[in-house]
Amino acid sequence: MQHLTHLARGTDHIAYPTFDPAGTVQFYRDVLGFPVVHSICAAGWGPEDHPDFIHFFFDIGNDDRLAFFYYFGLEPFDGGPQGDSYSRFDATVPLFFIRSRHLAVHVGSEADLTEYQRRLDASDWPTEMRLQHETIESIYTHDPNGYMLEFTRALRPVTPQEDLDANITIDALVDVVQGPAPSMDALLQRKAELIVQRAETWQADLGGVPATVDEVAVP
Amino acid sequence: MIAVFVLDTPENRPVVDVADTAATTMVDRVGPYFRISSPVDIVIDRRATGCRHAVWYSSVAGLAGAEITQWDKDRMRVVSR
Repeated sequence: MQHLTHLARGTDHIAYPTFDPAGTVQFYRDVLGFPVVHSICAAGWGPEDHPDFIHFFFDIGNDDRLAFFYYFGLEPFDGGPQGDSYSRFDATVPLFFIRSRHLAVHVGSEADLTEYQRRLDASDWPTEMRLQHETIESIYTHDPNGYMLEFTRALRPVTPQEDLDANITIDALVDVVQGPAPSMDALLQRKAELIVQRAETWQADLGGVPATVDEVAVP
Repeated sequence: MIAVFVLDTPENRPVVDVADTAATTMVDRVGPYFRISSPVDIVIDRRATGCRHAVWYSSVAGLAGAEITQWDKDRMRVVSR
């Protein structure tokens, strides 16, 4: 595997459309306290019948930004009773699928997570869930546009062993999805083969010292 | 002989410890993984592990000569393929 220098530096912005800019500003700026850091007022132009629009940005920490487009005069598109301002789904689409696409904002401590829970619970968009996953704890709500928003904190640092396991998982996944019958069973069988091939060597190479991600990621 | 691999993390340790209480299982290491081996079925009681669901349902890293026939809120049963 060729080693490619990792040049990316986080999220410049992720952009969503909104049909409710007032609610969006209330939620992100006034309830959550995310500063407005940039906005563009643009007249519609170009070959398409592009409406005039406002493109506005909230700081979500770490110099990363969540941006919205508001198009004057544009009405929501149909597509079903479920979903958000961007994607509508018919009633047969399961919630786990709809909720699979979401934004998770990182916080540094349990106290900070609880503070965002407090701000949400005092608003029209209360916390819907607080959950401990494998190594993170999260709260969830939906913003005024129906977009699912998660705040999450690490319960502990991720270990080098977990980076190794992640890479073995992904190599096994790539293998089994190209096979005849992808399944969890097929994946776990393939992972066992890769563990036996790689894990002992990885440990020996370390000499008991935790490896960097780069050392374990490149076979 | 069947084997289940479990990554060594603090959350997964109780799964290995409970599996290791059976007289038929043997636990050794392959790098940062535990390998739980047995000549017969491996049955692990979730409540005995004390694992929350998110940990329980992501605790298995690999299966050698084995398949999981039960993996629910009560127990995991791993049998020969």
